[in-house]
Amino acid sequence: MQEIILKAPLKEEDTRALNVGDVVYIDGAIFTARDMAHLTVRKLLEAGKPLPVDFAGSVVFHAGPVVKKTSSGWDMIVIGPTTSIRMEPYAEMVGKLGVKAIIGKGGMQEGTSQINQKYGSVYLQAAPGCAAKLAGGIERIDGVHWLELGVPEAMWVLQAKKFGPLVVGMDSKGRSIYRDLREKAYRRIKELYG
Amino acid sequence: MFDRKKLEAEIRDLIVRSCLGISDDVKGLMEKALARETNAGARSMMQSMLDNLNIAKKERKPVCQSPGYPTVYVSFGDKSLPGDFKSLFGRHLVQATNEGLMRPSIVHPLTRKNPGDNSGEGVPNYEIDYVPEQEYLEMIISSKGCGAELGNLMKIMTTVTLGDNYSGLKRTILETMVEAGGKPCPPVGVGIGIGGQMDVACKLSRKAVSVRRWDDENPDPLYGSLERELLEQINSLGLGAAGTGGDTYALAVKILGASTHTAIAPIAVNFHCWVARRAGVRLYLDGRREIIF
Repeated sequence: MQEIILKAPLKEEDTRALNVGDVVYIDGAIFTARDMAHLTVRKLLEAGKPLPVDFAGSVVFHAGPVVKKTSSGWDMIVIGPTTSIRMEPYAEMVGKLGVKAIIGKGGMQEGTSQINQKYGSVYLQAAPGCAAKLAGGIERIDGVHWLELGVPEAMWVLQAKKFGPLVVGMDSKGRSIYRDLREKAYRRIKELYG
Repeated sequence: MFDRKKLEAEIRDLIVRSCLGISDDVKGLMEKALARETNAGARSMMQSMLDNLNIAKKERKPVCQSPGYPTVYVSFGDKSLPGDFKSLFGRHLVQATNEGLMRPSIVHPLTRKNPGDNSGEGVPNYEIDYVPEQEYLEMIISSKGCGAELGNLMKIMTTVTLGDNYSGLKRTILETMVEAGGKPCPPVGVGIGIGGQMDVACKLSRKAVSVRRWDDENPDPLYGSLERELLEQINSLGLGAAGTGGDTYALAVKILGASTHTAIAPIAVNFHCWVARRAGVRLYLDGRREIIF
């Protein structure tokens, strides 16, 4: 399997070239965002207010870290993916913002698959429950926005160096390993119970 | 009654162990699953998972970023009254959070406000069992990830919908696996509660996958054979580790049952992520101590 290193901010041609099953690593900025950060972005956009970061070509990580406050900032302790499906209702907004890669676990649905085709973005699966290992790919925390939402739900700005491995679970050609596995599993249930 | 200082030290030990590692039964099942896995992607995922356990242990870091939601199972008898364990668990969960062993993840159910220390109304969740003749105090903490909760199911089935040879029940459980997919961090443990009423089935499903060792045998032959059959069928779906394809989606199926009313057949399915942050101990009044996991 070919190993690919993607440098954030990402170029559309780079993410369009990826295929389901490819193993990739990320260098550069990664923004974390869970339910509340997505909601906050939506509210700011609706109010016509500016966003604190530029999402064009960005990598968004469905995650909330364990961090430690230091005199000068924050230390990363561990970080791993949260369940991505909760963010599916924001697929259109995330695509329009210019996000080119989402990192998470469990996959997303047809809305995201369509957005991937339209904007050339991809969904990347991280190994679930591997927070101590994945933290090795984060060099530092560059900042945090909306800390009032709580540590997990705030938006953390991370600097990554060979963060991964991540597997392309959904590509910009509309393919999804999650959809394929689901269809296969339902065929098996039909074999067993009609 | 147990000495308070000794009880406090045991509770602290349970919480710290459940932050830094997973229970030994699950680690053993993960190693066996990796050894027989034929899918290259799944092998790589499971190898990462086992590596992660070693890194967390070596660097004394939380084994997962999510501390999950803590449930504490306490059982005792007339001769093994525990004393005030309730304030101790709450206090030491907060302390572990302040030490960076747990992410503060507990919020108000509606406002979503996070107090920042994993304290809150009803936290941890206690399941307390009084067994008059039991000569030991048993305490088990299970901090179960909540991606796993997103896949859970509760359903009131009936005599008719259970089906011949429980085919309706089995189909429902298999469909629940497909719908859960990668959400509960597979390879999972599957707890199934059968019987009682709605809340009873739910509590049994959580207890089955939290308290029982995943490598044990069900003493009830009917439940035991259902556990084996379901485990094989679930894994034949091909969902695999991480839900990205492979031979092992479930490491174990654990069933607990209770009698129910003739009109209903309540069932609940409760996922446990592979990161089984569980620690349990039995304490005897004469000072003996047994680690459950």
